[in-house]
Amino acid sequence: MKPSPEQLEQIIHETLRSVPAHRAPHSLEARVLAAIEARAARPWWRQSFAQWPMAARVAFVIASAGVAKLVLMATVWVMAGFDGAQYASAFSTQFAWIDTASAIMQGIADFCGTVYRGIPPLWLYGGLAFVATMYAALFGLGAAAYRTLYANR
Amino acid sequence: MNDEPPVQTPPSGLIPPADFTTFMRAYQDMVYSTAVRLVKNEAQAEDISQEVFLKAHEHFDNLSTSPTAGGWLKTVATNLSLNHLSRYRNRWRFFSEFRRDDGGAGADEPEIEFAAPDTFFSGVDAEERRSLVEEALAKLPEHQRVPLVLFHFEEMPYDEIARKLRISLAKVKTDILRARAALAQILARSANRHENFNA
Repeated sequence: MKPSPEQLEQIIHETLRSVPAHRAPHSLEARVLAAIEARAARPWWRQSFAQWPMAARVAFVIASAGVAKLVLMATVWVMAGFDGAQYASAFSTQFAWIDTASAIMQGIADFCGTVYRGIPPLWLYGGLAFVATMYAALFGLGAAAYRTLYANR
Repeated sequence: MNDEPPVQTPPSGLIPPADFTTFMRAYQDMVYSTAVRLVKNEAQAEDISQEVFLKAHEHFDNLSTSPTAGGWLKTVATNLSLNHLSRYRNRWRFFSEFRRDDGGAGADEPEIEFAAPDTFFSGVDAEERRSLVEEALAKLPEHQRVPLVLFHFEEMPYDEIARKLRISLAKVKTDILRARAALAQILARSANRHENFNA
């Protein structure tokens, strides 16, 4: 005789509820206490922002405001069609380092461009095909390993 | 393993312990049980339990004097376990979908009928009963086991299970219904084997 769904619910509920709890492993307590100690020993800058010293919090907020200002200026500059003349006169002394950094970046970009143009296209496509093949092979290997070693356990 | 008796449900009406270690000892079996039943993996359950107690430590000022600390711990353990399952499922969805089209446990086996017993293992001691039930639960597919555990162990209502698992209410009810039937079949077979073995 098959039990009705209500009977089945009752039987399963009683069976499951009669099962005693698992006992936590002994290592759990030691792990938790060690993790608490490790958290307490972390330097202030790796703790949550609320735990930072007041001076550090203020400095962080000021620095963030500075970054926000720079982003805003950059946005305006981009929207003005990269016409930096109006900014160059106003910020030439404050942001002289930007010209230096820009020149360095330009030099690196030129070097990379020269190297790129020196590579034969066949090598380039061959390299890309090799990377794609290796990626697919490793993906397949991972899937096979998972199915063999883990999924069938 | 602990030598102390496990705590299955949070003690009610007791004065909450002031010391965190004592607090942890009182609830660690309950937290670990919640996690291990959901994630079905002891190492991952231990990681989740550790995370639960680290969160509890952050809020210990409030929890140490709260009579609902057990419920808070159970909720956090359940949520972390479900997050873990969701992350794990997303990570391995591509691989996992190869392996089971999912009629679930016992889908290929002939359905057996059984008389409605009060319980499946009336003459079996607690430890053995737990082992048999846990084995049976582990044989259920995840989409049946998780809602079943949430409903019967965590006493979560259907609609909350649907919300937590982000599936429809109808699917929750169907999965739990099927899970009960599958679990009953597995338990009936285990009980028969156990009786034959002891005969």
